[in-house]
Amino acid sequence: MAEQTLDCLGEACPVPLVKTQKALEKMAVGDVLIVDIDHSCAMKNVPDWARSAGHNVEIEEVGEGEWNIIIEKTK
Amino acid sequence: MGENKKYPFHETFLKKEWSYSTGAVLLAILALALVTVTGSAWGVTGAFVMWGGKFLQLVGINADTWKGFNGALAKYNFWKDQPAITDTGIVVGALISVLLAAQFKIKKIKSSKNVWAAILGGLCMGIGARLALGCNIGSFFSALPAFSLHGWLFWISIFSGAAVGSQLLKKYFM
Repeated sequence: MAEQTLDCLGEACPVPLVKTQKALEKMAVGDVLIVDIDHSCAMKNVPDWARSAGHNVEIEEVGEGEWNIIIEKTK
Repeated sequence: MGENKKYPFHETFLKKEWSYSTGAVLLAILALALVTVTGSAWGVTGAFVMWGGKFLQLVGINADTWKGFNGALAKYNFWKDQPAITDTGIVVGALISVLLAAQFKIKKIKSSKNVWAAILGGLCMGIGARLALGCNIGSFFSALPAFSLHGWLFWISIFSGAAVGSQLLKKYFM
């Protein structure tokens, strides 16, 4: 159960989404990926994609205009 | 998360993003209102041309004698220019909306690559929008409801451009 952080602060769409997809590909089932974002569009498209791919997703607002998207790889 | 639940109105209307359908309906109503009130369809980049011309005059280049302007700069009135007012409204509105959602943040510049991408991307968009006589608002959003063919041509062109752009993005920014 590894945990990994992906820093996407200052990155605009679609960079956070593509980086998330690439990072998850390399991870094992049960691993957790935490994506740091400060782009509100990524707050929608990253969780939307992760949920549609069947992963467990949680969003945490860590500051003004800053979020952590926590994704648990399920398959 | 628990803290937000105390303010359900704020959470639903000011913080959470509105659905695409809500946005579409509001855009249609506002665009119609704009045509009704000002007599011309919504556009964005036309104002930038005038501002660019005014800037050139400011630094001592008399752009007004150019064929493209032909005296238009002398007659220009910011407060009578519909795109100038709506453009200002977009920026001010975005600021108000992000402040109301408590999501205002000055982002750090991650790398010089991002700076170059922003400058080059901005230039390409500006030049492209002027060659096409409008951006995705003037030449697409406002063209389709007017049943104009140029909107559909713009749509095909912008999708081809976006396809090439995404490949470049994948190659250089991932």
